[in-house]
Amino acid sequence: MTRVALVLSLALAAGEWRVAVPEYPWSFPQDHWAHDGYRTEWWYLTGHLQAESDRTRRFGYQFTLFRIGVLNEPVELDSDWASTSVIMGHAAVTDLASGEHVFAETFYRETPLLASFSDYPESRIGWSRGPAGTEGLWSLDWNGNGFDVAAVDTRQGMSFRLETNADKPLVFQGPGGFSRKGTDSSAASQYYSFTRLATTGEVELDGERFSVRGESWMDKEFSSSHLGENQVGWDWFSLQLDDGRDVMLYLMRTADGSVDYASGTLIDGQGVAEYLTMGDFVVDVLETWTSPSTDARYPSRWRVRLPSAGLDFELRGLAADQENRSRLPGRVYYWEGAVEVSGGVTGRGFVELAGYGDGNRPPV
Amino acid sequence: MSLDEPVLRFHSVAKHYSQPSGGVLKALDDVSFEIAAGKKLAITGRSGSGKSTLLHLAAGIDIPSAGAVSFVGRDLGALTDRQRTLIRRDDIGLVFQFFYLLPHLTVWENVALPGWIASDRTFEERGRKLLDRVGLSAFATQPASTLSGGEMQRVAICRALLRKPRLLLADEPTGNLDDDNSEVVMDLLMQLVDDEQGALLYVTHSEEQAAQADERLSLHSGRLERT
Amino acid sequence: MIRYFFRALRAQLRGGVLLFALSLFGVSIGVASVVSIQIINLNALGAFRGSMLAVSGSADLILLGKMPTLPETLYPEVLATPGVAAAWPLYRVDVTLRDADPIVLEVIGVDFFTAIDVPWEGEAVDVSAALGQSGWVAVTATLARERGWSVGERLSVSIGTRTAELVVGALSDFEKATPLASPRLAVMDIAQAQSLLGSRGQVDQIDVKLVDGVDEAAVVAALDRKLGTKAMILTPEQREEQAADLLSAFRLNLTALSLISLFVGGFLVFSSTQAALVRRRTEFGLLRSLGATHRQVFGLLVGDVALLGLAGVAVGMPLGYLGARANIDRVSATLSNLYLLEEIHQLVVPPWFFVLGAAVGLAGAGLGALAPALELGRKDTRSLLAAFSLHARVGEKAPRWFAAGVLCVLAIVGVYAVAGDRWRPAGFVQAFLLICAIPLLTPWLVQLATSRLPVRSFGLAYGVKGLGRQLQTTPVAVAALAIAVSMVVGVTTMVSSFRDTLDIWIERTIQADIYVSTPSRRRAASHATIGADVIERLKRHPAVTHVDRLRQFFAYTNGRRFSLAGVDASVPVDRARFALLEGEVEELPRDSVLVGEPLARKEGLHVGDDLVVDGPDGPVSFPIAGIYYDYSSELGSAFLHLDTMTERFGGGTVASVALYLAPDSDADDVVDELRVAFQATPLSMRSNRGLRERAMQVFDQTFAITRLLRYMSLLIAVCGVALTLIVLARERTSELALYRALGASRLQIFRIYLGKGLGIGAAGIALGSVAGVAFALILIYVVNRAFFGWTIAMHWPLGLLVWQSAIVLLASSVASVYPAIIASRTPATELRREDL
Repeated sequence: MTRVALVLSLALAAGEWRVAVPEYPWSFPQDHWAHDGYRTEWWYLTGHLQAESDRTRRFGYQFTLFRIGVLNEPVELDSDWASTSVIMGHAAVTDLASGEHVFAETFYRETPLLASFSDYPESRIGWSRGPAGTEGLWSLDWNGNGFDVAAVDTRQGMSFRLETNADKPLVFQGPGGFSRKGTDSSAASQYYSFTRLATTGEVELDGERFSVRGESWMDKEFSSSHLGENQVGWDWFSLQLDDGRDVMLYLMRTADGSVDYASGTLIDGQGVAEYLTMGDFVVDVLETWTSPSTDARYPSRWRVRLPSAGLDFELRGLAADQENRSRLPGRVYYWEGAVEVSGGVTGRGFVELAGYGDGNRPPV
Repeated sequence: MSLDEPVLRFHSVAKHYSQPSGGVLKALDDVSFEIAAGKKLAITGRSGSGKSTLLHLAAGIDIPSAGAVSFVGRDLGALTDRQRTLIRRDDIGLVFQFFYLLPHLTVWENVALPGWIASDRTFEERGRKLLDRVGLSAFATQPASTLSGGEMQRVAICRALLRKPRLLLADEPTGNLDDDNSEVVMDLLMQLVDDEQGALLYVTHSEEQAAQADERLSLHSGRLERT
Repeated sequence: MIRYFFRALRAQLRGGVLLFALSLFGVSIGVASVVSIQIINLNALGAFRGSMLAVSGSADLILLGKMPTLPETLYPEVLATPGVAAAWPLYRVDVTLRDADPIVLEVIGVDFFTAIDVPWEGEAVDVSAALGQSGWVAVTATLARERGWSVGERLSVSIGTRTAELVVGALSDFEKATPLASPRLAVMDIAQAQSLLGSRGQVDQIDVKLVDGVDEAAVVAALDRKLGTKAMILTPEQREEQAADLLSAFRLNLTALSLISLFVGGFLVFSSTQAALVRRRTEFGLLRSLGATHRQVFGLLVGDVALLGLAGVAVGMPLGYLGARANIDRVSATLSNLYLLEEIHQLVVPPWFFVLGAAVGLAGAGLGALAPALELGRKDTRSLLAAFSLHARVGEKAPRWFAAGVLCVLAIVGVYAVAGDRWRPAGFVQAFLLICAIPLLTPWLVQLATSRLPVRSFGLAYGVKGLGRQLQTTPVAVAALAIAVSMVVGVTTMVSSFRDTLDIWIERTIQADIYVSTPSRRRAASHATIGADVIERLKRHPAVTHVDRLRQFFAYTNGRRFSLAGVDASVPVDRARFALLEGEVEELPRDSVLVGEPLARKEGLHVGDDLVVDGPDGPVSFPIAGIYYDYSSELGSAFLHLDTMTERFGGGTVASVALYLAPDSDADDVVDELRVAFQATPLSMRSNRGLRERAMQVFDQTFAITRLLRYMSLLIAVCGVALTLIVLARERTSELALYRALGASRLQIFRIYLGKGLGIGAAGIALGSVAGVAFALILIYVVNRAFFGWTIAMHWPLGLLVWQSAIVLLASSVASVYPAIIASRTPATELRREDL
């Protein structure tokens, strides 16, 4: 349990961390790279893929690099291990036909030996060694019009290598890329997305390789305080509707399960964002699923209403068990899975359910 | 110490032992007798009659509870243990029913033992003569344990006589021997005492042996009766 | 029968409290010796195991750097190896606390973000402080308590000539999980450890955890391919075995010495059981005639012995524990001085140890009682048990036993002729044979000696002669004493020869005037660097004419770890630098190597052979130019030129330097001057003489415990003398009464018994001295060569031996005073037995 004690204590480590601000001076592509001085930063790619050879083989995938700041300024030490942050990689592939969900992870201190973030203009944004027992790296690169990602876990026979290209422009989540997470303005992040990334590449599952093609969503967020004081987790929805519109919804939950803050973005076919607040939409849980591994009870079917946009549809997980369960000390778990949209409109998307389960809190 | 002083004199001697039960055992009671030099005294009595106690008192191994035991005029009861030990060493010879030869010593060494104890260098000649007398010179260098009972007692007599004791005390000297051997040993004892002009006090069961004495006394429950 | 046993027991105890006490003492001391040595042995390794488990407890494999560290770039490669479930690097450096009481902190640099598990004391630890606060270190709660530290305490430490400021940032509790873990373990972030205390790019160890059910051999093979000669791959069990191997000779020797104590204690039981049998023969005869079976009577005796054994264990176990505690510092010093292992910080006695102690005590008592008890099986117990018949039987058998003893002696010679010093157990087989030969030879020799003794009066000589006439008892005491004496003589001679040899060797080897190293040198070895600037400053001292640098690390040849040293050898010397056993070399050659005797013996190396050492990129081989006498470490050592070392193994750090002074300067004065000049630098400087003294001090410390064990056996043996004489006084009451009846004075009887005591003492010394010579030869020419690999020049410490003999004789006569008093008090009225 060393790790838990260590990682959770990060919250205690008071210091002069940079905080998210409404007037952040964005500069692209440089802001795709890492931002020292913030406590947390992540690059989140999720998407739906299908095998080129057999269009019935469909997959959901997730690739995430987390940068967890330990120190807000570098220390002068004559060692390759001198480091200010930790890199955590999460990757998952779900076989949507069989429902099989494989989750892989890496966790290293930032050091040239194990994992690190690069500086603009190198194409590489960040990388880490694969999990123990795996030859090969996990990586995230900027290719000029999208992100290339690679993840591998030899032990589980899972890997993927994907290239993405933006079909729609970058969109800020929240005005100026400032995304509030609560009524208290200190809980906020700098947040932007690529909602439609054409994706090609290779996926390996259970040792079987597929050439794949599909569509991804990319989120980039960095902040120093993500959750408000009473909040225990969040429900996050990224939906790509077949009519060309995209929806992002963010619901912050408190310990009693109620939502105390929510926000969202509706992006039209041209990539123009309309920002939503708590009163603009309603998400009702229609069904739940209880994880046999963690006993956490997650929503599994929803009804989403967005009256101003004339949207009223249902969401359903494409596989029940898309729970990511860390095998590292600390035993982090959350649900991150592919969903489909039906009802008034069709489409697909990804949902992240964090902070479910007894005493379970997102580590970042 | 005058010449006519008896060698051993018991004067109203009593010996009492206190018993664990609280009573008193009178081993000897009012015993009086004396032996002059050259005389032989036989004491008879059943076992438990106090014979051993009497011999212990005579040898100065023990002292009386009442009365006096005098050895050539010296009251043994008034002497220290060391003084009594020296008297025993120099003037008293002891012969036991069970011979008490040291089995790991040779015949000669057993005879020589009193000489060694007294650091007396002059005994060798006498020891050899005595062994010769009892007819055991040939066995001198053998371990004592190899001898027969009769031979052992003859050796024990030599040991007792080695330092020319004035008094020879013998506790049933033939008690452990067959008749033939008893006769030989008894004759030898008498003869040697005569030759040496010592006094002899011996305890015996045998009427025949008692009859060889100049005087016989009989012990009954610690009291003396003259026969 | 059981009721009878307890009734009889009470009577027996009343009758012979002292007798019982003495045999109890013998068994107790025997058990105590074995137990205390075993506790020490166990904990010697326990400390190492504890600290290893505390850090690498969950590891399946431990990868240790051979050069001596590992390039850290190997860590990701290890991590990526299929079958590896987790891996974590360790940077280990033993730093010295700069304090009035300069303890060593065993700092372990870890990456807190790996699977390594540090048991924290108290609340969650702020990892940002561990990474960000300069000098952050977590010390054990035990040490903090001991030193009165709390979080925030600043610690000044040194490693080599470097100093660093550490700050207690948290407390750990390794002892909770692994009780034997060293309280000196200190944990800090690997980046801080490398930066503040070591050097970047290297780690000392990588711990690996394997995937459950994976083929370990396959993973080891894969790792081996990646690491080559750079690392050694061990399981924690192998790692412990390695340490156990390191200590095996040390532990075996202590065990052997402690077993001798037990052996001598067994002799005491033997004679006291025999005495009890003799005393109780009438009783046993009566019991048999009343219908008791042979088995029942035997049971009575077994009951007695079991009781004695148990009582011996009950007394011996705590005594052994106290003994171990009292000696822990000595052993601890040896462990850290000679073997560079963990010091023992606390003693742990596992429950099974009590079973061992009980087994040892009961077995000792049982074996001691075996022979006498078997006598009971004979017909006509009563007469056979009579003292004289026992004596006669021993007397009859004495020549045959003597012949058997002679055979044992011949066997010793035979073993030497066949095995020499090549077969390790040979020495112990020989020692065992010798110990068997002593009691076999004794009865006949005692008989022979006493039968020739002329007796002209009833005094000392009569008493001594009597010993030959009580062969049922006395040879046992003589043999026990002889064994103890032989051990004392043998070990004393060996230690003293060793000391002289070492002294001469040091005199010859230590040629420089001043030796400079650092306080952390001994423990931290290759991490304890003397900075180049410090060496430059030393050179500038006006009295210093030459400076020789020495770099040393542990290298491997054929999997054997040895100390490889590189020296400048720049100084022209007037004497040969090395005392050579083989080969002729005036100066340290450039392209060859000199090998120390222990290494040469263990590896079977000779001049002209090659020494093949694991190098950074595969094996490196050097022709051997000479083999030198070496007593520095049983591990073995080799020397080569520093330039050659750098060329073949890459650059490294200098851990000590030797200074040569101008002829007219005084080394001690220069040391004083340098101490002032280098006040702020953690240096330890010793003049030639100081170093020699220190070496001898370490030597004496190492052998301190053997001295204790030697005297322990001797004590038991002297008790044996007392016991034997008491038995004689008790059993020979009739004989004594006869003497009294025949007019022997008390003083005379006292003198006889004193004579017996002196006789046993003298016989024991005489026999023991002869056997001791043999013992010394075995120790020096077989055991030391086989186990340590060095040649000790034989030297007889005659004065010391005579002195020890006098003490033994004195002790024997003191031991006979009490029995003599008992004997002299025997009244003539006791003359009432049927036989004598």
